[in-house]
Amino acid sequence: MLNPLQKRMLRRRIVQAVPVLLLATFSVFMLLKLLPGDVAITLAGENATTERIEEIRRINGLDRPLLVQYGQWVLNAVQGDLSESLLSGEEVTTTLARVFPNTLFIVCYAILLSIVIGVPLGLLAAARSGGLADRLVMVGSSVGVALPNFWIAMILVVALALNRQIFPATGFVSPWEDLGGAIWYATLPAVALAASGVAEVSRQLRSSLVEVLGSQHFRTLHAKGLPFRSILWRHGLKNVSVNLLTVISLLVNRTLAATVVVEVVFAVPGMGNTIVNATLQRDFPVVQGAVLVMVLTVITVNLITDMLYSVLDPRISQR
Amino acid sequence: MTKRPEEIINTLPPLRRRQVLAGMAGAAAVGLLPRGAFAQDGNVLRIRANSNPSSLDPATGGAGSDHVFLYNFYDTLVDWEPETLAPKPGLAASWDFTDPTTLVLKLQEGVTFHDGSPFNAEAVKFNLDRNRTAQLSNIKKDLANVSEVQATDELTVTLTLSAPDTALPLILSDRAGMMVSPQALNNDPEANVDRAPVGTGPWTFTGWTDNEKVSGERFADHWREGVPGVDGIVLNVIPEAATGLRAIQSGQVDLAYQLDERQQQLVDKMPNLTLVAGPTLYIYQVYLNSARGPLQDVRVRRAMSLAIDRDAYVQVTQAGVGEPAYMNLPKAHWAWSEEAAAVTTFDVDAAKKLMEEAGFADGIELDMRGYPDQGSVQRQEFLLAQWAKIGVRGRFTNAPISEASGRFFGDEKVGDLLMSAWTGRPDPSLTYALMYGQTSYYNPGRVAPPEGYEAALQKSRESNDQAERAAALSTVQKLAMEAALCIPLSIRYEVDATTDRVQNFKANLLGKPKFRDVTLG
Repeated sequence: MLNPLQKRMLRRRIVQAVPVLLLATFSVFMLLKLLPGDVAITLAGENATTERIEEIRRINGLDRPLLVQYGQWVLNAVQGDLSESLLSGEEVTTTLARVFPNTLFIVCYAILLSIVIGVPLGLLAAARSGGLADRLVMVGSSVGVALPNFWIAMILVVALALNRQIFPATGFVSPWEDLGGAIWYATLPAVALAASGVAEVSRQLRSSLVEVLGSQHFRTLHAKGLPFRSILWRHGLKNVSVNLLTVISLLVNRTLAATVVVEVVFAVPGMGNTIVNATLQRDFPVVQGAVLVMVLTVITVNLITDMLYSVLDPRISQR
Repeated sequence: MTKRPEEIINTLPPLRRRQVLAGMAGAAAVGLLPRGAFAQDGNVLRIRANSNPSSLDPATGGAGSDHVFLYNFYDTLVDWEPETLAPKPGLAASWDFTDPTTLVLKLQEGVTFHDGSPFNAEAVKFNLDRNRTAQLSNIKKDLANVSEVQATDELTVTLTLSAPDTALPLILSDRAGMMVSPQALNNDPEANVDRAPVGTGPWTFTGWTDNEKVSGERFADHWREGVPGVDGIVLNVIPEAATGLRAIQSGQVDLAYQLDERQQQLVDKMPNLTLVAGPTLYIYQVYLNSARGPLQDVRVRRAMSLAIDRDAYVQVTQAGVGEPAYMNLPKAHWAWSEEAAAVTTFDVDAAKKLMEEAGFADGIELDMRGYPDQGSVQRQEFLLAQWAKIGVRGRFTNAPISEASGRFFGDEKVGDLLMSAWTGRPDPSLTYALMYGQTSYYNPGRVAPPEGYEAALQKSRESNDQAERAAALSTVQKLAMEAALCIPLSIRYEVDATTDRVQNFKANLLGKPKFRDVTLG
């Protein structure tokens, strides 16, 4: 199904991913160790003796050189063992398997909203560029890009969860257990995350469409008598699809990062919350594992995007 | 290229039947979303907890915030009156000091653990021995004065002490008195029930999802009549205080404890919420290293304490919800002493005079330490403004709690003072011993307390009469205040919010709520 060129690209990308993963996990590991604070003190509890803290450091291998600790972690990770949380003793893979789907669900929901709302708005603005609708969409999207999503989240909570109890203000239901409940709980976080996504998609789509529609190629289409709607839908969209794909893939990565704040606001047990809690408590195996999964996700999204490029525009893979 | 409106409409593709159907299906799906999730979830009490427990085994955990979880699954040997913390019977129906170094506990009859094994003197012996000697125990220090535990008969336990210690009953109301089923530990003191607590408490444990929730269901064979008041309990871990308040406002939880003092005004404005507030043992205070620089002079320390307007402190940093502290206990406590509290006042002129007498008329520069959160910084700014009036200058260097306090109290001994807090201990003699004892961790300079201090403290531990103990403790506290070994600032108030359904919920002086009597209307 993949042609040889695509296969070669896939192989190259996978090889390239290895140093990225190492670099990302190593820098996070070092940053965590540079931060003041010590998980051993937390583990030892209130008014613990210095000896007890030392003992706990030794038991957990926290007294070894940093590079040895990191090397050990990498060695285990390669074999699929992300070790255990220092605080709860739970396997990191178990924790991640529980929280990652929640985050993924919210991110997918947000991206879906961004596309479903952003694309028609972008089309509308481009079709009547310079008109009232165009201006409204552009002003709206400027606002959407400018507003921080945690602020939007707060406003949504006040309006739709506290004043009118239409949606819940906090919490989450796993999509595996109850899909309807999951959608209901995820709506406010997803809308908060999607606000900038809608703005981004509509804005980018409009500007590339306007550019394409003004080109000589499209003047020719007009001249040969094609109605405007098929110029816009059949030729216009196809021409900007690569741009749109780039915007969406960047959006996925950014939304993934934005969940850190939004999950705390909505008390969603997802990756963002897990990373925040683990970082505050210096529970480095959990942070490392979560970062690894996040980086893998970003790499995968980029890879899929690259593959889709060559589907949308076969010239790309031949370059 | 401007277009007329009808042209715009024409540029949109016509709707197909399939699209119309899809739209209708979508609309129907929205209608099917569960509205019922706001409906009340049976007879289950849902609580907002502010942190993930460190462990659910009383012997291995380390955080003061764990108790709120532990009380649900374990009973303690001794209980206390919520308002005053005076000890009262728990799993021990009565206790008696037959002589100053022998404490005899008589146990309740007919108590069983969640796993069906009987609660008896052997179980108590196992637990106390585990708590005071096991490698994994974090609370060996609490029971340091216990030299031997004997199961005299089925329901009698005799504790032999190495020194008189009447603080022991209240110590047994804390972690050290929480009874774990020996069967669940396979009678191995080094085993733990960190993730699966088995006690005699009001609820049996049903699950713990890290950083998400801890839950339990009614223990039908609980020995207390009418306990627990609800069939199930769920503690939802929501660390962020504002999110916690939103959770109760929008009905995802029934009760939120230990909210921020500044949230009290918000709770007051919300018609569907009830505020439950009261003093706690948690006290904001400045720890001084009396072995360093100008702080070696008691006059400088006194001056710094006298220069602070504590009423204003409560107004500014706690939105008026709190109580100015002139000693290390709140007014409601049985050992609060008018005499000791009178030692400290707000008197800037006297403070200036003391600074002059000490030879620091031009002021001093101190190395101040603290924590970086917003509330702490606000408290620091207030203190700096007050101290500026008597020429005490400085800058706060802030670090996370474990780091800052570890370096200040530990072997490094950095900084002249630390703006922090004392979380309280069930027995006041513990508070005094830990805060001012010469070898104590919380005495950063390891300076000797004033003459007569240790004797008075020991006296408070030898008597079993509350009035006598209070008198001895008053002397202890007065000596500490005169020496200005630390600067108490204010008492933190417990600020809890409940929905209208929640009944019989009381705040307690320890500031760690118990839920066993709570019912849902």
